[in-house]
Amino acid sequence: MRTTGWLTGGALLTILAFGSCRKDPLNNLTNDESRIYITNYDTTVNFSSYKTFSVNDSVDVIQDNQLNGRELSPYDSSLLAAIGSSLQQRGYQLVTKESSPDLAVNVARVYNTSTGIFSYGDYWDSYGSFWDPYYWGYGGYGYYPPYYAVGIYSITNGGLEIDLLDLKNAAAHNNKITTIWTGLARGEQVFNQANAASEVQALVGQSPYLKQ
Amino acid sequence: MRTLLKYGGVAALVVLLSCPVLHAQNYLNVTVGYGVNFPTGAFKNYITHPGYKGFNASLAYPLNDQLSLGLSFGYNDYYQKYPRQTYNDGEGTTVSAVLTNSVQQIPVLVTANYTLIKKGFIRPYVEGGAGVNFATFDQYLGEFDAPHSKANWALKGGAGFYIPLSSYSPTAIKIGGSYNYAPFNSDGVKNLDTWGIEAGIRFAIH
Repeated sequence: MRTTGWLTGGALLTILAFGSCRKDPLNNLTNDESRIYITNYDTTVNFSSYKTFSVNDSVDVIQDNQLNGRELSPYDSSLLAAIGSSLQQRGYQLVTKESSPDLAVNVARVYNTSTGIFSYGDYWDSYGSFWDPYYWGYGGYGYYPPYYAVGIYSITNGGLEIDLLDLKNAAAHNNKITTIWTGLARGEQVFNQANAASEVQALVGQSPYLKQ
Repeated sequence: MRTLLKYGGVAALVVLLSCPVLHAQNYLNVTVGYGVNFPTGAFKNYITHPGYKGFNASLAYPLNDQLSLGLSFGYNDYYQKYPRQTYNDGEGTTVSAVLTNSVQQIPVLVTANYTLIKKGFIRPYVEGGAGVNFATFDQYLGEFDAPHSKANWALKGGAGFYIPLSSYSPTAIKIGGSYNYAPFNSDGVKNLDTWGIEAGIRFAIH
């Protein structure tokens, strides 16, 4: 009788112990596999209508919804160089910002220490105002609200954001600078210098429409 | 959460209602086992790999030599990682990610088991069950999780055979297969149906 009770208890405990052995997806991802790349573009835009572009000389650093200034770390330098190279390979001509480029490339490192559930659309809305129209010589211009991405995910680490701004048609759009393409990279070691080129390659690579 | 409470309440009620009946008998059959379950139907759209972490236990009251009625519990874990690929929403958004689906199911069923042959080295049985399936479905894009949890009703049908270890006690090895119908109906995931094979041991507690 007592033995049977122990057997029963032991069997149930064994089931519970085995039951808790859920295969944890996060423990089965490499750093590369942990990263996601999201791009979004204005489907009404003809990207071949743009000829020139310029890349910001530094990167915005945004911490918990606050612009902490601009920096140029070794990672940032590699990233900006990779963006310039990728867009040139797509047929666009790299020019200085004083040469009235058709497109402006703005890059931001975004750090969120809070964990929450929100959409990437909200994310872009929050940070859109950090773009500096004066930097591109468009002081007083407003920004057109960017696009909404799919999905709601919990965000627990930093992310890279690359925005392609339409300077060519800013005046025609009632003095609004429109974002025509956005790229996001998130995941482990996203700000590792060794990953900068592959991140740009991934984002541009999944945007075949982005060509002159 | 309300759904979980509702179905949890129903399961608790079934257990409570069963108690007076159980107390009125001499013994109960306890079965513990291990099983491998295979996703089928719409579930295969998300996971095709078998779930090798399948465990079950049941507590059954023998109404006579052939028919028993009781409660069964289970735990099944499913996991599948897909290589990196791009997903387009058709409206300008593209996501490149390694996608991982992780599903856990905990069915709690009222089960009836009928042994077709009372004596012999091999005693075939058929069984059926109905109850609640507590399920979690986590879909990861990279390391980012989109979790879904839901309790829904579930059905189980199975067959197999017992191999008695003694002529004088109900202790027996149980080997069988089953089909588990488990609607999910959350975020486009219609069901988490599986079929499975299992092996276990049945013994009596007085």
